[in-house]
Amino acid sequence: MRFVFVDEILALEPGRSIRAVKTVKADEELFKDHFPGFPVVPGVLLTEMMAQAAGKCLDAERNPRGKAMLARIVSASFRDWVGPNEQAVINAEIKTSQPKYATADCYVEVRNKKVCSAELLFAFLPMERLAPGYIDEVLESYLNRQK
Amino acid sequence: MGMKHFSNTKEALAWIGELFEENPDNIKPDTPREKVAAWDSLGMLTLMSKLDEEFSIILEEDKAAELKKVGDLLDVLRVHGCLD
Repeated sequence: MRFVFVDEILALEPGRSIRAVKTVKADEELFKDHFPGFPVVPGVLLTEMMAQAAGKCLDAERNPRGKAMLARIVSASFRDWVGPNEQAVINAEIKTSQPKYATADCYVEVRNKKVCSAELLFAFLPMERLAPGYIDEVLESYLNRQK
Repeated sequence: MGMKHFSNTKEALAWIGELFEENPDNIKPDTPREKVAAWDSLGMLTLMSKLDEEFSIILEEDKAAELKKVGDLLDVLRVHGCLD
């Protein structure tokens, strides 16, 4: 599977907040193992959804400090299961943002119920470390729709 | 919500110990940074972000690099009025 855990951005205030969605399809192989007869989206992937969404919120600022990279899961809690084909609505709010770090409070909702939350710490990677011409397709798609 | 404030050094040392996931007994004012295992580059980012979030202290990277022991961190808290 591709390691893209945000399908679409619904709302974005660069550097401040983001609301996005992700649905892990039922035909993904991971559900064969996680778990047989009881398929649920792994907590690490829910955490990755929050990290990718918050990262896009920071990256949308086009700050020269570089691309936001998850540095630490300060805390994370999982309250309910998320099944195949269930749409996860991912929310992130940036708490602090400085040249060397940023922090975000994040949570995921399914059917209007909070299923997990996390406090995440980000560091920044210089853009030149990434492949030439790299763009975040999900973020660019959203920004282009706003023009 | 008000900023965190410590009324004594013991409270501040407990906070530092929790921050670096270190036994509080191992955190003393004269404890050198290199004796705190989690006070590495990631620990420094964590420290900077927590000072920002909880005390509104923006510690620049060069100033953070000058911290050599736990007591230096206590001084930062004192200078900013966050520790009596």
